[in-house]
Amino acid sequence: MEPENRISNKALTVWKISGLISCSITWIISIAVLVLTIIFDWTYWVFVALILISIIQSYLAIFLIPSVKWKRWRYEVRNTEIDIQSGIFVIKRTLIPMIRVQHVETKQGPLLRKYDLASVEISTAATLHVIPALDLAEADELRHYISRMASVEEEDV
Amino acid sequence: MSEPKRLHPIAVLLNIIKSIKELVIPFLLVVVIPGKNEGIPGWIQPLVISIIILFIIGNAFLQWVRFTYRIEDGEFRIESGVFVRKKRYIKFDRIHSIDISEGIIQRIFSLVKLNIETAGGSQADAVLSAISKSDADRINAFISEGKNANNPFDKDKDEVADNEYAAKSSSVFKQTLPQLFVMAATSGAVGVFLSGAIAFISQFDEMIPFERIFKDYEDFIEMGTIILTVFALLALLVVYVLATLSMVIKYASFTVIKTDEEIVISRGLLEKRQLTIPIHKIQGIRIMENLIRKPLGLATVYIEYAGGSMEDKESLSIMLFPLIRKRHLHEKILEILPVYETASEMTPIPKRALSRYVFRKFLYFIPIIGALIWFFRPWGYLSLLLVPLVIFWAYMQYRDAGWSIEGNLLLLSSRFFSKQTLIMHRSRIQSITYKKSWFQNRKELATISASIKSGITSRVGMVADVEEKDCLIIKSWYLPKKAVDSQ
Repeated sequence: MEPENRISNKALTVWKISGLISCSITWIISIAVLVLTIIFDWTYWVFVALILISIIQSYLAIFLIPSVKWKRWRYEVRNTEIDIQSGIFVIKRTLIPMIRVQHVETKQGPLLRKYDLASVEISTAATLHVIPALDLAEADELRHYISRMASVEEEDV
Repeated sequence: MSEPKRLHPIAVLLNIIKSIKELVIPFLLVVVIPGKNEGIPGWIQPLVISIIILFIIGNAFLQWVRFTYRIEDGEFRIESGVFVRKKRYIKFDRIHSIDISEGIIQRIFSLVKLNIETAGGSQADAVLSAISKSDADRINAFISEGKNANNPFDKDKDEVADNEYAAKSSSVFKQTLPQLFVMAATSGAVGVFLSGAIAFISQFDEMIPFERIFKDYEDFIEMGTIILTVFALLALLVVYVLATLSMVIKYASFTVIKTDEEIVISRGLLEKRQLTIPIHKIQGIRIMENLIRKPLGLATVYIEYAGGSMEDKESLSIMLFPLIRKRHLHEKILEILPVYETASEMTPIPKRALSRYVFRKFLYFIPIIGALIWFFRPWGYLSLLLVPLVIFWAYMQYRDAGWSIEGNLLLLSSRFFSKQTLIMHRSRIQSITYKKSWFQNRKELATISASIKSGITSRVGMVADVEEKDCLIIKSWYLPKKAVDSQ
């Protein structure tokens, strides 16, 4: 019985873009090494290894990981608890009772803002849980809902 | 007690000491290390030093003048600051613990230092560095009284009151001196002490001409490595004894007193400390059995509570029983914290998890062993001896891992070197997580973890490779009725 809600499918695009950004760093290094190799007549295997790494990383970071991550990501907010499932190779389920929630906030980085998304951060006294990308309206609604449900019960830490 | 009060004037001295402590390193850097500089008149240096000293004394005095505390409207109010005026108001029911300690200076004037701790976090707590004992007692009484008065929504109170039958403020746990010696001798603090000693000695490496000394004694050294070894062992023994003694002094006359709402822990010979923890702030308890103590049937019990401050590391993990026989544990906990009373029969993890424990260890050790063999060819093969050791370690970890649910309590036990058993009340668990990797999924195992608040962060109990069905049991224990019956 998995949690029923999925995160926004635009998250896939966002993750792919951020994967692309992180890959571009490796590519820049690879190209720099290529240039240096040509200028100083170094052996080629360093460059070849770097290119291989770049290709593998690009595949993982841009294609495989975002899609697997997106497929895994599920959440469900019920009256008394929040149930979150995440993970790529390791599937992780987290349960947070409503009364443990101290506060909720939504966050938007530049990338998320461009796609009209927001992440929801749920803090308990001791832990922090993040739902990474929801449509802005949905995130706002969720924030209100959790905060309303959480404030019904007051408990000491 | 609503009129503002000042600290005892000796606080000025304490302020001076404190700022000297803070300034000593920059002071050395600026004044001592450059030495005599050419071109600067000789009188500049003494002048600068005396200005600094005057400033420190003046500042300490002003700090004392400006520092006032009072109790008003169920709040503890402190006003302080020389250039920047600070007003800190702490509500009684936000106070998590009261820590009374006596340093050497305080003892000379029969004063105490009172430390009021709030929930861990960025906001600093209130420290009254020198007040009379009677004042401290009065504040203590005021605060616990005030707390009872305006704390109607304290959930655990009924529960505690129900279970309470221990006499009021009767001493319930005392660590005897022989026990303390055993505790100190098996504490493993030696390691810390030893590395400290080595770091300290290596500081003098440059100052003491070791080489020259040893040259004179070359014959002596040639007498053989045996003597050197004996010396090394002797040195080790001395360090060990010193470490043990310092632990004994620190924890001497360790006493736990339980009252209706609070636990009062006092200890110390040279510096006395007394810590008052409201029972309802306790989040869980942790039983630790280290390598030496476990075979002897001994354990140490810690309190996890939501409080303590960053600066005072000791306040973050509080010993309830420094050393206790495992078979007495049950009744002692029943006496002091009845909420956490358990019979602690653990459900072990399934047999098929053992191979995963061994495999996980090998994941790290095979490359290490491989590298050792590769680089140090003949002798490197000795590292193969690690293999049975690692297997044994993995087996111990497998054997000591387990979980248990008893009424409202969840027990998770696991081992790295020491065995840790975390006992958590359902209404204190912040969140429960279970995760399974692809390999675990195939074997129908999962890793379960539960976190409670402890100090400023969290304490996480984790057991790897629990039967997946058991994770679901724990999950359903944690969730459904929860909101109903913890209220």
